[in-house]
Amino acid sequence: MRYLAGRTVYMLIILAISSVAVFYAIRLSGGDATAARLPASATEADRETLREVLGLNDPIYQQYFTYMGRLLSGDLGNSLTNNALISKMVIEHGRNSIILGAAAFLLVFLVGVPLGMLASVRRNTFTDQGIMSLSVAGMAVPNFWLALLSIWLFASVLGWLPSAGCCEPKQLILPAIVLAAEGTALTVRMTRSAMLENLDSDWVRTLRAGGLSEARVIGKHVFRNALIPIISLAGLRIGQIVGYALIVEVIFGWPGLGQVLVNAVLRRDYPVAQFFSLVLVVMVVLGNWFADLGYLAANPRLRKI
Amino acid sequence: MASPLLSVRDLTTVIRTEGIEFEVVRGVSFDMYPNEILGLVGESGCGKTMTALSVMGLIPAPAARIAGGTVLFGDRDLVSLSERDMREVRGDDISMIFQDPLTSLDPMFRIGHLLTEVIRRHRPVSRSQAEAMALQALAEVELPDPETRMSQYPHQLSGGMRQRVMIAMALMLDPDILIADEPTTALDVTVQAQILDRLLGQQRRRGMSMLLITHDLGVVAAVADRVAVMYSGEIVEQAPVTQLFSDPQHPYTQGLLRAVPQTRHQRGALHTIPGRVPPPQFVPPGCPFSPRCSQALARCWEEHPDLVPENGRRLRCFNPQPLTPA
Amino acid sequence: MTASTPESYLSEWDRRLLEFEESRHISVFRRGMRNLVRNRLLLSGVILGLLVVGAGVLGPVIAGGDYELINFSNIHAAPFSEDALLGTDHLGRDTATRLFVAIRVSLAVAVGVTGLALVAGLAIGTVAGFRGGWTDRSLSGVMDFIWGFPLILVAVLFAGGLGEGLLSVILAVGLVNMAAIARVVRGEVLSLSEREFIEAARAGGLSNWRIIRKHLLPNILAPALVLASYYVAVAIIAEAALSFIGLGAQPPLPSLGQMVAEGRNFLQLNHWETTVPGLALVAMVLSVSLIGDGLRDVFDPRLRHEAKGLES
Repeated sequence: MRYLAGRTVYMLIILAISSVAVFYAIRLSGGDATAARLPASATEADRETLREVLGLNDPIYQQYFTYMGRLLSGDLGNSLTNNALISKMVIEHGRNSIILGAAAFLLVFLVGVPLGMLASVRRNTFTDQGIMSLSVAGMAVPNFWLALLSIWLFASVLGWLPSAGCCEPKQLILPAIVLAAEGTALTVRMTRSAMLENLDSDWVRTLRAGGLSEARVIGKHVFRNALIPIISLAGLRIGQIVGYALIVEVIFGWPGLGQVLVNAVLRRDYPVAQFFSLVLVVMVVLGNWFADLGYLAANPRLRKI
Repeated sequence: MASPLLSVRDLTTVIRTEGIEFEVVRGVSFDMYPNEILGLVGESGCGKTMTALSVMGLIPAPAARIAGGTVLFGDRDLVSLSERDMREVRGDDISMIFQDPLTSLDPMFRIGHLLTEVIRRHRPVSRSQAEAMALQALAEVELPDPETRMSQYPHQLSGGMRQRVMIAMALMLDPDILIADEPTTALDVTVQAQILDRLLGQQRRRGMSMLLITHDLGVVAAVADRVAVMYSGEIVEQAPVTQLFSDPQHPYTQGLLRAVPQTRHQRGALHTIPGRVPPPQFVPPGCPFSPRCSQALARCWEEHPDLVPENGRRLRCFNPQPLTPA
Repeated sequence: MTASTPESYLSEWDRRLLEFEESRHISVFRRGMRNLVRNRLLLSGVILGLLVVGAGVLGPVIAGGDYELINFSNIHAAPFSEDALLGTDHLGRDTATRLFVAIRVSLAVAVGVTGLALVAGLAIGTVAGFRGGWTDRSLSGVMDFIWGFPLILVAVLFAGGLGEGLLSVILAVGLVNMAAIARVVRGEVLSLSEREFIEAARAGGLSNWRIIRKHLLPNILAPALVLASYYVAVAIIAEAALSFIGLGAQPPLPSLGQMVAEGRNFLQLNHWETTVPGLALVAMVLSVSLIGDGLRDVFDPRLRHEAKGLES
């Protein structure tokens, strides 16, 4: 319980600090916020009036609280480029992002963990070396390059899958695989080394001395122990997926939060950039927190003290 | 004497590192009888644990393998038994207790789960029957509050309690043979005596045969019936316990006995055996103990002595001398 | 018959045992050196790395030419066409010239940023691990905070704040990698501090600075360098990815990611505009990863399990 409370408090503190950081990062260097809202012919007096209305002349800490207050009341403002309601945008694009991210997250673990286990039980065989080589490749090939290669192969040459778009299941396959590639490669490596580390432990000998079969010793006991470090890094995997989504969504034209954020930064659409980066930061922090919860649930040494 | 329960003959185990194989257990032979404790003593690195693991078929493959010899248990040779058949023997007919109770229990499962899993592996009983058996086994080793322990995780128990769990686990299926590898070394001195007491009580009550591996001569003198002394992968002397302690013949045995601090006698410098156990990759050509031996002859450097039986004792030495009081 | 050990035998034995022990001792070192040469991964990594660095450093000198020079009369030329070794792009710019400059940009960003991150990470990690207490708690808190965020997201935030360009990339990559290195270094320092020789040095009254310089740093350097090689790879990929989506190097300065992005619109016409920079990128990352893996195997087998060290 103390662990849970500690992690939750930590999560809330991180959330608070990072919301401040994101706010300041975008607001402080956001250039003249009035430029995008007023015609070029506007006078300096007009701009000053607008600044006053927008609260830009208030002290910066006050602006932060004003902004957070508006967020909490659901008033997210409009996009500067197409005047769309940011609250509507975030729901629509957030849904797409969550579909893609969840697919990638599942792939990372449902593919990475079994492959890592296979490599560990076939240690130093052809299978092991094959899997590990694939995992090195998975980490060395940048994902945008992998994305282009897969579009070229599966969309242009073979014509099996669409190259871009949303949101048919068929259109989900390529982006999800590309988004999951590096995380899967890392999970394979980590699962393998965690399995091997636990295979060397004293209690494995005890279980064998009790007459348990290798399948049981490895498949149940060693695996259960190896799961702990894997789960403890699940939060990083979530963060990684959020980060790479910024690139993968752009390449595959998947209209998620990442694509909108990148476009907003490029078009200097500050209200959108500000809120969407805040959303992604919150997702990362919450992802880490969920991973902490999973770690707590999986580790009896933390559950009861 | 009755016929032996377990009969080890010329057991040789090799380990392979960096492409070179070397023998860590060399031609070890001994018998184990019902209702008897055989002590196996020697410095660390002399092959005691590897001998035990070889008997259990638990040597770390593929680095290690049994290169020769037999381990007869009843009419079966455990060395040539299939892994599947060997699993039936392990934990049921022969069980083993390990040195470090802190790391020898899977930390992810409750005590009850660990015990019942082994029971149900060997006996066709229901979950609740297995739990009853496990509970009884825990009670027999006098683990306080066994019902609570069943639902606890290993980290919630002290080292002494965990070793009791290990003993209960090893004894709950009434094995014919128990191998205890340094069962008390990792424990506090006060707990050591309790654990040893539990172990002995259970051994006597069940008429079990026990192989007690230790470097603690005091423990051996107190509980063992016969003692085998190992050095550099082989048995150098074996005798009934009183004989071995009153009249040690091998210079190494004598050195071990002299090295035990004698509180009753004069205070002063502790005796030590000069030098150390040769690494298994580099065993001297003659008697392995010759470089450290104060009474080695020229012959000891060239010829490897055999283990010669002589009125109840077995001895591997060309030049035994009576023990001179230090 | 009184027993006596023939002196000659005993000394002969001692000599041989000593020789044996020495041979083992030396062989550990020799094995390391042998691995260094025989380790094919490391060797191929070094060769690949030399090729890439050579292309980046010498390429512009040899190839000459102006990477900004636009020539509409010769666009989308295939490799090995006249005047263009690796072809030209949609503006008729020479791919080879641009590639060499792009490799330079990539190398400069990656090596420079990782060098700074390594120095800062070493300093922060050492101080945090060595001082302990509040210093450690606050420094580690900040490092954990930074490390918790994905690099690409941090870089996009910087781009949002400072505007897109290499400066944002450099700051983001440097910051996150510094935090990652500092975390590992702190862990190493903590575990080293519990070892006897550090305890002895403290008990012997050596100054903190002297203990750090003489005893800690030499022991941390190997794992830190191995780690740093991974972060070079991370930095190369991050720079390329950000340039690919338009947040990194700004035209006309070429960058591998940007070249891939520009070429992808003309895959049917001349796929080499994308393939060439893409392959260069993979070669760079692969070479750094191979070198890192090889170094780790040779010098620090312990890091094998340090999967966290690989996290970006």
